[in-house]
Amino acid sequence: MKFNADNVKPLIEDEFVGEAAKRALQYIQGKRSAGMPVAGIYCGYAPMEVIRAAGAVPAILCAFANKTIAAAEAVLPANLCPLIKSSYGFIITDSCPFFGISDAVVAETTCDGKKKMFELISHYKPMFVMDLPQLPDEEEAQANWAAMITKLKGFLEKTFKTEATSERIEAEIKATNVKNALMNRVFDYAAKKPSLLKWSETYELAFLAQVATTEDLQPIFQEVFRTIKEREEKGVYYGTPSSPRVLVTGCPVGGDSTKVYKIIEEAGGVVVAMDSCTGMKPFMTAIEEDTGDPIAAVAVRYLQLPCSCMTPNLRRLTEMDKIIARFQPDAVIEVVLHACHSYNIEAYKIMNHAKEIHNLPYLKIETDYSDGDVEQIRTRVEALFDSL
Amino acid sequence: MTALGLDIGSRTIKLVVWENGAVVLTRKALTSSDPLAVCRELLHHTPPGPLVATGYGRHLVKEYLRCETVSEIKAFALGARAVFHSCRTILDIGGQDTKAISLTADGRIDKFHMNDKCAAGTGRFLEIMATALGLSLGDFMAEAMATETPHPINSMCTVFAESEVISTIARGTPRPAIALGIHQSIASRTVSLLERVAVTDDIVFAGGVALNGCMQKEIEKALGRNVHVPPDPQIIGALGCALLAAKNDEPVKRHDYDDKVKSSRGKARES
Ligand code: SF4
Ligand code: SF4
Repeated sequence: MKFNADNVKPLIEDEFVGEAAKRALQYIQGKRSAGMPVAGIYCGYAPMEVIRAAGAVPAILCAFANKTIAAAEAVLPANLCPLIKSSYGFIITDSCPFFGISDAVVAETTCDGKKKMFELISHYKPMFVMDLPQLPDEEEAQANWAAMITKLKGFLEKTFKTEATSERIEAEIKATNVKNALMNRVFDYAAKKPSLLKWSETYELAFLAQVATTEDLQPIFQEVFRTIKEREEKGVYYGTPSSPRVLVTGCPVGGDSTKVYKIIEEAGGVVVAMDSCTGMKPFMTAIEEDTGDPIAAVAVRYLQLPCSCMTPNLRRLTEMDKIIARFQPDAVIEVVLHACHSYNIEAYKIMNHAKEIHNLPYLKIETDYSDGDVEQIRTRVEALFDSL
Repeated sequence: MTALGLDIGSRTIKLVVWENGAVVLTRKALTSSDPLAVCRELLHHTPPGPLVATGYGRHLVKEYLRCETVSEIKAFALGARAVFHSCRTILDIGGQDTKAISLTADGRIDKFHMNDKCAAGTGRFLEIMATALGLSLGDFMAEAMATETPHPINSMCTVFAESEVISTIARGTPRPAIALGIHQSIASRTVSLLERVAVTDDIVFAGGVALNGCMQKEIEKALGRNVHVPPDPQIIGALGCALLAAKNDEPVKRHDYDDKVKSSRGKARES
């Protein structure tokens, strides 16, 4: 799969094309040299506005490589999600540069595996584990989560010896909203028929946009929109007008598991929407501004994340309705990491929703970070496209 | 016209030559560690014509033989409809995977499911269990059919099932009972896979394991329906490929395989 023209300028043109993590690392190192503390995060529930208001730069910790899993399995059970094993492996082999430069780690009680893994790494760095309510629609949930965010604020203030004032949090809320609106403008070009962007471009931009401030992103966004405009004017698009458009949903996909995106492309499909925490999910909702209680506003926004660790997580279905209407996919492919029970079980509902409500073919791929199943996945994806 | 279909499976490679509406030649050979060489042997002295390949090895031959490829799901759907026009459900148990496919009334693929990354319930599983019982595949089936009282085998992981079988033998359980237990456990697994795609008559049972009459009987019992085993169940995928090759409007000119036959290892079986 390629663009319909030669020598298409990449969306972010720098020395890091294809290396999202290295680009993020360079950014974070720059901030650290300028005196900013670094807060390592593992999950979409980490309240970025509070972390930034405390003067820190967030770093997404490594969790997507097969190479550290063997080391992790010396301690962790083999039958555990590869994301958790990989993260743990990175830490015990001291090979996650982001963890190395983190001054503190923010963690959440999402799934059981992560929760228990955090216990095993808690002595390496100052760590704050947030108790995440898992019935987000209950009356108490918002207040409880807001209380947790307040506690996190206290932890960050103490650890980084700063003050995260309400004004600063409010300012960060506004900055997030600006950033999310810009990201959504980019997603709209991926949604075009045919799509103007390759999946890896959206993926790389999302990776950087999670860690970088809105201010620092402005020049990059300007360049990105210039590039997109140019493509539009020249009639450049990705794939062919008849390539099946795919919505990929489910567990976070990054590093070695991007094999799934590659296989989809090799089979002739175009990934138009990445509905996961390493794709569009962190940018999909706005935070209410000027409420007078910024922590409560942040709490509301994060509880709206449609993660499978929530129950009953009906928002995943309503979000999917919107994504389908916006990106017009021809098929839905769900990526479930091995032993991720919550996404795996929820997949049944997603399948029924895709098939019955949207009349879209659906394929669930259960995989890990190894490449041993590439051909099996290829067979399934090709068969899915054959059936369109 | 002549058209060829090649199904490069994990255990066996199958070739079908289709000429003027009929199968005129079929060949099968074990995949071995050099599937490309086996493909060359199978294609030795075959009539010219367009070729389509399927199976895990299809991408391997795509460039080399300059042929089209198709997913196994589509190949089986076409092949099964050709041998059984009213087919709505296909079960294929091959050497290393199991697939269930449901078709719409007009033969399009509706749903499909494959077992995951694991030999449980496949041809390979049966071979290992037969070996654990000290039986040939044929005797393994015959023993299972000779009894009415199975001894259930619970493990589905090949490695665990093997040790379960060995310890069951050690406790003095008769081999036929164990053999039947193994067949039944695969049958019930297979039925749950089938039920994921919704089962509609007629059902075609293809793949190497379909040659096992006991498997067919146990699947029918567990399913409460009859399944049809075509005369040569192993060639359904290759047949589907040949049909697709015959339909291709612009036949791709294939390489001359005969020039490439260098190896003289184990001659392919011809029928
Ligand atoms: S999928 Fe859920 S647990 Fe995983 S990073 Fe996203 S929000 Fe966190
Ligand atoms: S993919 Fe699933 S099991 Fe793995 S960390 Fe995320 S929620 Fe937990």
